[in-house]
Amino acid sequence: MNQTVASTPLINATKIVKRFGDHVVLKGIDFSVRSGEVSCIVGASGSGKSTLLRCLNALEKLTSGEVWIDDEMIGWRATKNGYVELSPGALARQRAKVGMVFQEFNLFPHMTALMNIMKAPMAVKNEPRAVVEERARRLLDRVGLSDHANHYPAQLSGGQQQRIAIARALAMEPKVLLFDEPTSALDPELVNEVLTVMQDLAQEGMTMVVVTHEIGFAREVADSLTFMDKGQVVESGNPREMIADPQHRRTKDFLSMVL
Amino acid sequence: MSISLATPKPESLRRYPYRSKASIIFGVLITICAIGMLQSVMRNPNFGWDVVALYLTAPVILKGILVTLQLTVVCMVIGIGIGIVLAAMGQSNAMPVRAVAAAFVWFFRGTPLLIQLIFWFNLSALFPDLSVSVPFGPELFSIDPNALITPFFAAVLGLSLNEGAYMAEVIRGGLLGVGKGQTEAAQALGMKPLKLMMVVVLPQALRIIIPPTGNQTLGMLKNTSLVSVLAVSELLHSAQIIYSRNYETIPLLVVACIWYLVMTTLLSGIQFLVERKFKKSDRSSSRRGLIPESESVDTGLLPQPTDGPSLQTRTAS
Ligand SMILES: Nc1ncnc2c1ncn2[C@@H]1O[C@H](COP(=O)(O)OP(=O)(O)O)[C@@H](O)[C@H]1O
Ligand SMILES: [Mg+2]
Repeated sequence: MNQTVASTPLINATKIVKRFGDHVVLKGIDFSVRSGEVSCIVGASGSGKSTLLRCLNALEKLTSGEVWIDDEMIGWRATKNGYVELSPGALARQRAKVGMVFQEFNLFPHMTALMNIMKAPMAVKNEPRAVVEERARRLLDRVGLSDHANHYPAQLSGGQQQRIAIARALAMEPKVLLFDEPTSALDPELVNEVLTVMQDLAQEGMTMVVVTHEIGFAREVADSLTFMDKGQVVESGNPREMIADPQHRRTKDFLSMVL
Repeated sequence: MSISLATPKPESLRRYPYRSKASIIFGVLITICAIGMLQSVMRNPNFGWDVVALYLTAPVILKGILVTLQLTVVCMVIGIGIGIVLAAMGQSNAMPVRAVAAAFVWFFRGTPLLIQLIFWFNLSALFPDLSVSVPFGPELFSIDPNALITPFFAAVLGLSLNEGAYMAEVIRGGLLGVGKGQTEAAQALGMKPLKLMMVVVLPQALRIIIPPTGNQTLGMLKNTSLVSVLAVSELLHSAQIIYSRNYETIPLLVVACIWYLVMTTLLSGIQFLVERKFKKSDRSSSRRGLIPESESVDTGLLPQPTDGPSLQTRTAS
């Protein structure tokens, strides 16, 4: 659907394994996203979707496997004797290129909406305040909240907070945006205002990985759909085809439950 | 009947809140007791109110107040500094660093402050000649501990170290009170640990830390009276000096108590103002409903989504 989709992957995760103690949460996942692509991940609760997403920006430490984003290995440095964990500073530099939107918004409650958006570019990239403020106001306009620049998060509805959170992530001008169930904590009437912003982003060619239960969004907006179950990728492909005609029994069962 | 009573408009009728009989009876009893006690205290010649009045503003007492305030401020500042360092050490990845912090808190919270103070005062007995030297090397300098450990220095040392242990716990609680989601959001934006701490965690932790720090300051103000045993001329010791000469023990203790009450009351007032200021800037406590309706309504810059179909029509283009 997106003409800007490139052929080489921007994100390439291979043989991802993640263990918490004895509990193997991701059991060898291969996952790739091309530049400009919108990739949706669906699956039952507890199937490891959030963990996979968090492995992509090193919020979780991989047990084994490799994550590459924009030709850079995330979280680790390969040496001939094995993988060496990166320093907190190096991790931070990598994360600055990968935006993330959380289910619970996680806006900074002690800052206005505008400062939430401006803080990271100023504190992380040392960009001049005037430049950042101009960009932040443009982003506020883009998510339809120009009038709310000086509001604190507690003064905003869930949908408004999530739109600010998207603007905050965009202010860092990331190469890719990760969404972890961005509408799951919202009252039903507020879901669409967030999905609309995300859809606009998709049309502008933003690379996005979206964990969601909104099958309608996946069908209409996504370029690829991945179904996960019990820490494994069961099926992935074209969203319309997959939703219309799932190949695996587990996919069929899951879709029949959420549709 | 009801019609004739309804002459004033029902909405303009006064409303009387419910008052329990118990609270009225209890209030009367308390008032009687309080008046009785106050009378017996005021009339009791043993309290020597004339002596109290005589010494309330005596120069020695006023000087003592100054020393008490000095000790309070100096020891709180150092104590908070130690507390910050200990709390940061407690969050370290390195086990030995965490262990040192835990041992410090364990020791200073687990032993009586009075003993700690006497201990510091007698440090010279433990280390008769204090010298700094390179291990197995030449001596760099040596000092006479009797000159170094003055009573005032021992007092500051004891009060500050003890305070540091308590403040470490207060600060640790504040840091833990800031949710994990905040740290992760800041990490995801690319903030390094120190930035994250300064920009995101500490400002939010401060709100949790400030009220107990106020209580700690009140406690410190009163604990300074313990250093009277080291003959530091703070408020209590100044009173003691006077009554050791004129034997007016009770009146001079009353003088000291009056001044402690004045200082703690003032401090409580300051604490109240500081906390209110922080509440004001804490907009997270104000609810959505406080904003005028017109402000919280969307401006329509984005096409207002109505239902599922809007998504489909937009993608179709
Ligand atoms: N920090 C953690 N420690 C231990 N187990 C975890 C942790 N995070 C997630 N898990 C476990 O991993 C599994 C997958 O979790 P998650 O990735 O959140 O699933 P999903 O997002 O698909 O609902 C769950 O069983 C969860 O209990
Ligand atoms: Mg999840």
